[in-house]
Amino acid sequence: MNRTLLWTAISFSGLVVLAYVGLSILAGGPKDAIEMLRFALPYMHRGKLKVGESAPDARLVALDGATRFHIRERNNGRPLVLVFGSFT
Amino acid sequence: MQIYDDYKDHADFLTIYIREAHPLDEWRMKSNEKDKDDVCYVQPKTLAQRVAIANDFTQRFKFPVPFGIDEMNNAANDAYAAWPERLYILDESGRISYKGGNGPFQYDPKEVRAWLAQRYGEVKHPEPAPEKKS
Repeated sequence: MNRTLLWTAISFSGLVVLAYVGLSILAGGPKDAIEMLRFALPYMHRGKLKVGESAPDARLVALDGATRFHIRERNNGRPLVLVFGSFT
Repeated sequence: MQIYDDYKDHADFLTIYIREAHPLDEWRMKSNEKDKDDVCYVQPKTLAQRVAIANDFTQRFKFPVPFGIDEMNNAANDAYAAWPERLYILDESGRISYKGGNGPFQYDPKEVRAWLAQRYGEVKHPEPAPEKKS
């Protein structure tokens, strides 16, 4: 019984190490893997929106920092390409 | 942004600035610091900070595409599951006609170009001339 538990623990630890190494390679380094888990994964979602559905609306701020407008206001009889992103 | 120049007479474009992907105080990327453009910011905590970074971006790159900034409640980001970067196309009636994958690995402007090309025709650009060896 103890032997089974030992091998289960060793296997589990090995999988964790392998996952961490894989994540480190993907993220760019061991520290990046931790930061990715902490800061990226909580915000990264596949989303539930589907093609054909009505697009959700949201209020945005213009570059002057004061003017507000809605995404749907820019959807006036032509297709609207939305490009989401940040600077970094 | 070449797609914008090629299709702005047929479609509208809107860039939406959302929360930073790699700020100095979160998942910091060394490449941003090494980058000649020195793109280093902490995650904005106020709308004024977000507006300042957005203005820095548009001015630094003379960015021509219409621009909007997500409010601090991240409403646009949450509605479209957009972080860290994502592309969508809404059709004339406000329905989602194209939904791109999450960036950076599934972020593919070529798919947007293909969608626009299918509707409005392909815009071809001349191949750059090969460099002459001296």
